[in-house]
Parts: sequence; structure tokens; C-alpha cells
Amino acid sequence: MALTKEIRFNDETMALVQRMMKRYPEGKHKSALIPILHIAQAEFDGWLSPEVMDYVASVMKIQPIEVYEVASFYSMFNLKPVGKCLIEVCRTSSCWLLGAEDVIRHLEKKLNIKVGETSADGMFTLKTVECLGSCGTAPMMQVGADYYENLNLEKVDQLVSRFKAEGKRKSYTDQPEPRSL
Amino acid sequence: MSKIAYIDNQPFEMKDGETILSFIKRNSGEDLVPTLCDAPNLDPYGACRVCSVDVALKSDGPVKAQASCHTPVMEGSYIFPSTPRITKLRKNIVELVLTDHPLDCLTCEVNNNCELQTVAAKVGIRDVRYPAGKNHLDKKKDLSHPYMTSDFSKCINCARCVRACDEVQGQFVLSMAGRGFDSHIIKGMNTTFNESDCVSCGACAQACPTSAISDVFESKSVVPQEKVRTVCTYCGVGCNLDVAVADNKVKSIQAPFDADVNEGHTCLKGRYAFSFYDHPDRLREPMIKKNGKFEEVSWDEAYDFIASRFTEIKKTYGPDYIAGISSARCTNEENYLMQKFMRVVIGTNNIDSCARVCHSPTAIGMQRTFGTGAATNSIIDLQYTDCMMVIGANPTASHPVTGAKMKQVAMKGKTLIIIDPRKTELTKYAQFHLQLRPGTNAAVLNMMLYYIIKEGLEDKAFIESRTEGYEEFKKEILALNIPELEKVSGVDRNLVRDAAVAYASAKNAMSFHGLGVTEHSQGTFTVMLIADLAMITGNIGRRGVGVNPLRGQNNVQGAADMGCQPYQGAGYLDLKDPEVISKYELFYKSPFPKEIGYKIPEMYDASLNDRLKAVWIIGEDLVQTDPNTHHVKKALEKLDLLIVQELFMSETAKMAHVILPGASFLEKSGTFTNGERRIQRVNKVVDPVGNTKADGQIIVDLMNKMGYPEPDYDPAVQLKEISGIVPFFKGVKWEELGINGKQWPVLEDGSDTEILHLDTFKRGKGKFIHNAFKETAEIVDHGKEFPYIITTVRELEHYNSGVMTRRTRNSRILKEDVLLINPEDARKNSIGDGELVTVESARGEIVIKAKISDEMKSGVMSTTFHFPEIMMNVITSSISDSEAKCPEYKVVACRIRKK
Repeated sequence: MALTKEIRFNDETMALVQRMMKRYPEGKHKSALIPILHIAQAEFDGWLSPEVMDYVASVMKIQPIEVYEVASFYSMFNLKPVGKCLIEVCRTSSCWLLGAEDVIRHLEKKLNIKVGETSADGMFTLKTVECLGSCGTAPMMQVGADYYENLNLEKVDQLVSRFKAEGKRKSYTDQPEPRSL
Repeated sequence: MSKIAYIDNQPFEMKDGETILSFIKRNSGEDLVPTLCDAPNLDPYGACRVCSVDVALKSDGPVKAQASCHTPVMEGSYIFPSTPRITKLRKNIVELVLTDHPLDCLTCEVNNNCELQTVAAKVGIRDVRYPAGKNHLDKKKDLSHPYMTSDFSKCINCARCVRACDEVQGQFVLSMAGRGFDSHIIKGMNTTFNESDCVSCGACAQACPTSAISDVFESKSVVPQEKVRTVCTYCGVGCNLDVAVADNKVKSIQAPFDADVNEGHTCLKGRYAFSFYDHPDRLREPMIKKNGKFEEVSWDEAYDFIASRFTEIKKTYGPDYIAGISSARCTNEENYLMQKFMRVVIGTNNIDSCARVCHSPTAIGMQRTFGTGAATNSIIDLQYTDCMMVIGANPTASHPVTGAKMKQVAMKGKTLIIIDPRKTELTKYAQFHLQLRPGTNAAVLNMMLYYIIKEGLEDKAFIESRTEGYEEFKKEILALNIPELEKVSGVDRNLVRDAAVAYASAKNAMSFHGLGVTEHSQGTFTVMLIADLAMITGNIGRRGVGVNPLRGQNNVQGAADMGCQPYQGAGYLDLKDPEVISKYELFYKSPFPKEIGYKIPEMYDASLNDRLKAVWIIGEDLVQTDPNTHHVKKALEKLDLLIVQELFMSETAKMAHVILPGASFLEKSGTFTNGERRIQRVNKVVDPVGNTKADGQIIVDLMNKMGYPEPDYDPAVQLKEISGIVPFFKGVKWEELGINGKQWPVLEDGSDTEILHLDTFKRGKGKFIHNAFKETAEIVDHGKEFPYIITTVRELEHYNSGVMTRRTRNSRILKEDVLLINPEDARKNSIGDGELVTVESARGEIVIKAKISDEMKSGVMSTTFHFPEIMMNVITSSISDSEAKCPEYKVVACRIRKK
């Protein structure tokens, strides 16, 4: 998937990135890498291409490899292109006991993809993840910054239709929605 | 009171900052505790836990297993390195490692030289009890690179390669990606060696305990029968090399950890670019040109021909019609013999060497200010300095091991000032980059001196007690026209001031300079200004300071030390002094020439004016590497006799009447003197290929042919003679040089010298001599017509004319010379990346491929001179340094157009 724009933060984002780095003492600005990678991922089509990571390294004046090693360590950084909505379904014990497998199978069928794949229209990527700490509202999934809880198949259908209608990219850095669905 | 800790209840004295592992190694032997992730040249890490030992606070107290490699030893602690509990733990760890390792030892390249194998044997593994599970055994090999290979099915995740890449070379190509079971080594963003930014230094291959990373020469295999320690033939760093040999063939090269100079590191030239030595192109037989064609002849025929021609020319015209050019690639002993041949056998001072085109201005400039034309300090001083100033040098390409050390020092937060027209790799680590226009070093250094005085940062006590001529000097500096200097150099005066303040206020500041200083019409004067900066700030005569030329060739220091200069004999004795002449006459028991001889550029003029008839050149390709090729060729064509002693049919060799095939550094013994005055032993590794001979033996044979009795070439013999005449070699003995050599001056008792000018300068007081900036004639005469400036540089992969490196796999990494051109200049001239460009100067033109890069400022371009296809020196000028006659390669006025 080709990037839709030039790899460069706009002025506003760049100011945010600079603020992130200034949070840390001089010489320790490397610590801002993770939040900056989230910003970069949100900015550049939801994933971190080698070019984007090189760009982040140059902005932060650190070695590119220092970006790669961090980005590859954390599962929330996508090193391959993803759809506009990355659906992350929890499959750990509580969710699993309360029907996560049904949710996953249903999504696979509905979106016509397997776990780990992206739908042909580039809208959805399906992923399973370990516990997201919301056992009391299992089964659940995360899309962008939001949790969608107490899922059943009907609710999943509604959500998919809604995401499709909105057609918007969902990022971890989006402001969370109000609680009520 | 000394601090004590116990090993198996035995008390031992501990050292400050020691780890448990080093404490045990020092007191109970190197091999008591097995290790995997620990390496002698890397910081403690603690990944593998194989080095675990039990530690207790009381002799019979409770114990805790600790990784000894990265745990500091604690006073009064009780350490038990091999209890049954610990040996069982180690065995379990190694057994788990083996569950994810192919047990194909018999067919593995490091069989019998694998640290995992050794440790597994040591802890007594006989069986892996775990069933086959998930593993990484199906990882593909990476054979993409000309030198580096990897097979990560054999990786044990010890991260030694990653740390070598970071801590030794500072390249940051390798890292560990993923987590948990998925952790794996990556090269760049999961690419191959070939596509990554790897500089092929091989530090990772040497660090890897298995064969997960190796090289095409399989340098960790046990095939070789012996290892010979010698010194690298490429740059002036002088890396020690361990050369593995089998059946009189070089198999591979590694860097010894106990080498003071390179401490287990070297670059891709030292480690991998050796295969030129038995390349089919090697000249293997002496040849005489008959009817325009070279014919192989016997050594005797060649010698007879040369001896009779020399005798004839000497008789007809006189000895001063003969000249010799010795080589900074040859040993001290060979250089010594060559100047002796010219002076004593022929009877002329027409002897020069390639130091002329390199650091001759350094020698003269530093002799005038300090009294000695050599680096004042040692590379180890990088550990003690607070500020490095690098002027006109690109050490990460031309002196890679020193360059890597500088990167490490800069990354530890020490100040780095770069004065260079290019954005060299080091500028990424620098606080200050003074990107001046080529040819204006003197302007910028003058500005720095001005600001140091203006800001009151002079070291008054040092100036008072150690120097002379300061008041006059200060007056001239304060009278400088700063706006004018700012304009010509193109460097903001505030930036210059800040850099000057940083240099002057650092506790210990060290300067380094390269050919970007010397290869200018003001080369010598610039060196003197650098020396002035060191004196005015008192940065002389202790650890971590000084003026340190980065000598270009492996033995360019030695060639000058041995007297291959037309105005100074062996040991820099001034030939204008009649007492010196009598001294030499007494020593050689022979008449000694009294006239000062020709420097290399003067030889060309002499030939064109019928004042020179014969030249004997050893190991230098004048046609490709000297400036103004047409001029050089015309001068050489005019000679009655041109003898070229070479490894390959170089552009110069093609013009010779006689070709003498010399032996490479791998095929002979002797000594090289590196850039920090360290005289190191070069030891013969293999026999000379074909019918070649050591250059020293060829000179001796010709001496004997011409009636001067000289014993056969043997470094021990010649060194003894040298120690009798070169004052600073007084205590040098072949047998006593040891593995790390000695730094001159070596006193009679054999003690050597790391730092020069400790309490007093060689010449007594350091002399301030002011030299104002003067625009080069190249710009004054041609600047209008040829508005661009081109400056010549070198790349990491190739060495000068490239005769050697082009005949190794290095030429697969870098295939051609290119013209680096700023994007703006490219656009103005409608030149695209990769397109051919005609570059024209007042001397001629070349056609070369453009590479668009912001490494150069607009108006300035650069290119290398490694390939004879381009013959870059067609366009360079015959202008040279006013004092030393070092050619001005760095400033060529030119114009460009798309071809």
C-alpha cells in the first residue's frame, strides 16, 4: 500500500513532537520515542514503514536501528500496512470463555478475511490480541483508541456497518469516544 | 587497606570497579568460568547467564546465583565459581540453548573453533532432554554481501554482534528485534547485509561465538595451519593483523585483541581486502621494454641493464641526472636502503617519496613551530580528551579504526569540531561543523585565533614559559579583517567564535588533521596555524591534547623518517649543514652529495628541461595519482630511463623501460611506523609470489651490482644500521620490538615515548609564526572562467589509486568514481542523478557520473581518484604548497556541463 502523502510531519504535529521530546531532560529525549511513533503511525496510514521510521530517527536525531528495535518489540506498532480499522479482538481467558472465538469467526466470515489479513477494500484488518484488561465486560475488542465491550454477533454487525459508513481511519491517538455506544 | 573478597574461601585482593568475572579470571585462571555473551572488547552485558556463580555474604551463609560478567565484586563476599549447584545450572542453560541450535557441528564452518561447542563440552552436555519444539532452524542464510555472511539458525541471541556494531564500529546496523521467542538479529530494517548500511568492518563476524555471522573467508574455521601477526599495509593507523595461513596461502585475517593500536578491530581493507596479493594480474617477472613491448627477462638481465644505464647516465651527465622515488607503502628498512642507494651509490640527493603529495607540509610546518614533524600524541589519548577538532580529514573513510574511536568518544558527550567543506560522517556527531569553501582553512583558523585572543582565552602561563614570538603574532592576529575572512570562507563568524571558545575552554583539546589541510597552496602555513592554536591554548605536552596529523599511508611517517626527502637525510638531519654532511660521510665511509635534490614536482620540471634523465620509482602510480596528468606523462615520456618497481601494471608502469616486480607486505618482513610514531614489526606471512622479490632485496641486489657491498635484506641488520644514524631510533632493535612495537624517540635503553614535547619543545621554545590567508592562484587565475570548485576525496572501500583494492571484492561494493554534486547545482545545470557530466578545468576535462548529494555545499563538488577509467588528475593543477611542494589536489576551479 503506497503512502498517500509525503513523509513529513505538518507544523502542528511537528510542534507536538518537539513538545514530547522536551518532556525529558536534555540528552534523554530518546525516551519520547514510543509516543512519537504513535503519532507517526496515526499520521502515515496506520503503519510504520521503514521510510517513516527513518524519518522519525532523523527528526529525533537518533540511529534508525534504535527506532526499528523498539517498533518491532511492541505489538501496537504495525510494521506492515493495515486497513483503516484495525480490529483487535481479545482472545484471553475471560473473553474466550464468553465467546471471543465466535466473534472472531463471525468477523472472518463477514469481512471475508482470516485473522492477520486485510479486507480487499482496505477498510479492515483483523487481529487477535492478548488480554486488554477489560475482563468484566468480556468479550471485547479494540478499534483505534476505543474499547467495544459486551460483544455479541449482532453488535459486531452494527459496529462493522458503522465503521464502513464512517470510512474513517481509527488510530490509538484518537480522542476516546463517550462511553455509551 | 586493600579490599578483600573470597574465591572458594581463599582471600584475594580486589581491584576497583572489577566485575566478579574479571576478579575470578585474574586470580583463578581465565578458563575457570565459562562464558558466551562476554567478549574482551565489549562492555559487560549479562545475556546468557552461563557465567553464573554462587555468591554469599558469609562463608557458610545462603548463596545466590549471580551472572559474574556484569556484577561488580563486593568487598568481603564469598564467591563459589563451581559448586555442584552452579555447574548444574550452567548445564541446564546451555542445554536449553541447544534446543534451538542445529547440531550439525561436523559440517559447520566453525567446527572446533566454536565457543558454544567449547562451553557445551565444558559443562558436560551429552544429551538434550527436551523434545524438539518450536525453533529457528529454518532461518535462511544471507549470502548477499561480498564479504559478510549470516546464518541465523545458529544464532544464540547473545547480542555480541549488536554490541560490536554499536560499541566498536559505531555503525548501528545490527540490532535485536521482536521479543521473547521471536527475538532475532536484524540488519537495518530486516534487510540483508548487502542492502544495509553495513561498512563490512567484520567486527560482528569476529565477535560472534558461533557461525551465525561470519565472512566469505570463513575466518573462524580451523583450516589454517598457522597464524602470523603483522601490520596492515593500508592507512597510517597501523592495525595489527592476525593472518591465517595454510599451504603458503593467506586464508583469512582477524584483528588481535592484544594490539594496542586496534584492540581487536580493523576495517574492511585490513580484514578483507587482501586477495590482491596473488591476483592473476600481479607482476611476477622482471620485464624490459624492447621495441615498444614488455618482455620477461631474468633478474640478472634486468639488473645488468639498469646498472649499465645508471652508470652511463651518471658518467655522461652526472649523478644529479638520476632520481629515485621511494614508497610510503614499503618498510622503513627499504626506504632507508633506497635513500642510501641514491645518496651513496649514485651520489645524488634526488630522493623523494609519496610523503610529498601527502603530509610533507605537516613535517615542515610542525618542524618550524615545534621542532618535530610528527604527531605529538597517541591515539590512546582519545580516551583522555575533552574536545576533538578534526580539520580536513574524513577518518571514518580514510582512517576507519581511528574514525570509529572518534565516534565512540563523541557519543560519550565529548565536544567534536569539524572543519571541512563536506558533510562527512563525523559531522553527524559534531557540535560544530564549519563548512568552509575549499582553500580557506587558513582564513577560518585565523578567525579562531582572533576570537580566542578577543575572548581572553589564551593560556598565558604556557605562552610565557614555553613559547616565543607571541607579542608580534598577537598584533597581527588582532589586525585581521574578520568580515573579509568570513566572506571568503563562507562560515558565519559567530559559529567560528563558538567553536574557538569550545576548543579553547576544553580542559584537554586534541586536534587532528588530514590531507584536507596539507594538499593546499597554504598547506604548511595551515599546519602552523593549527600548531599556533594548540600553543595559544596550552594544549601541548600532556595526555589528551596536541597536534595529530592522521598520516595517510601505512609508512608515510617512516619514509620521511628514513630520509626519503631531498633536503633531509636519514633522521631529518638538515643537508644544508656542512657538519651533517661530514657526519654522514663518516658514517657511510663514502663521499656524500652536498646539493639539495629535487622534490617530486621539481623532477617533472627537471625532466622537461633536460636536467633529469633517469627515475627509479618504487610503489607509486604517479600518472594516476599525481596532479595534472598530461604534465606528468610528458615529463616521464621524456626520460631516457624509467624504472618502475610495482605489484601491478599501473598507469605509470605502462610507461616504464624496466619493470621490477616487488613483493607485497604479506611476502616480506620489516617495520612500518604508524601515524603515532609507533615502529611495528611486519612479519612475512607467505613466500613472494612468482619470481617477485622484497623491494629491499632488489635495492640491495642493485647496490651490489653497482659495486657497493651491502648485506642481504634483513630487517634486523638494516635496523641496526639505522639505529646508528637516526637519533630517535637509537634504542630500536628488531628482536625487542615485541608485538606492539615502540613509539619513537626510542632511547638507548629501549624506552619509548607516547607524548612529545612534555616539558620543552624539541626546538626549545615553541615558535608562534603568523601566516595570513592568501587566495590560491587557482581561484585568482581561473575562478572567473571556471566558477565551480572540485575537491578530491577518498572512499572507505578503496585505497588511493586502487591498484590493490580494485583487485579485491571491495570493487563489488564500490564500483566507480562519481561526482558528488549539490542538488541546486545539479538543477541549475539540468543534471540528473546518474547522468554523465563533463568537468572541465584549465588543464583538461573528464567525463564522470553525477551523484546528487547534499554532502557538498552549492558551488563545491567532490570526487575520488580510485579508478583509472576516470583519471581525475587530468583536471587537477600543478600548483603546490609554497613550502613543501605538496600538490593542491583540494582546490580545482572547474566548470560543468551535461554530457
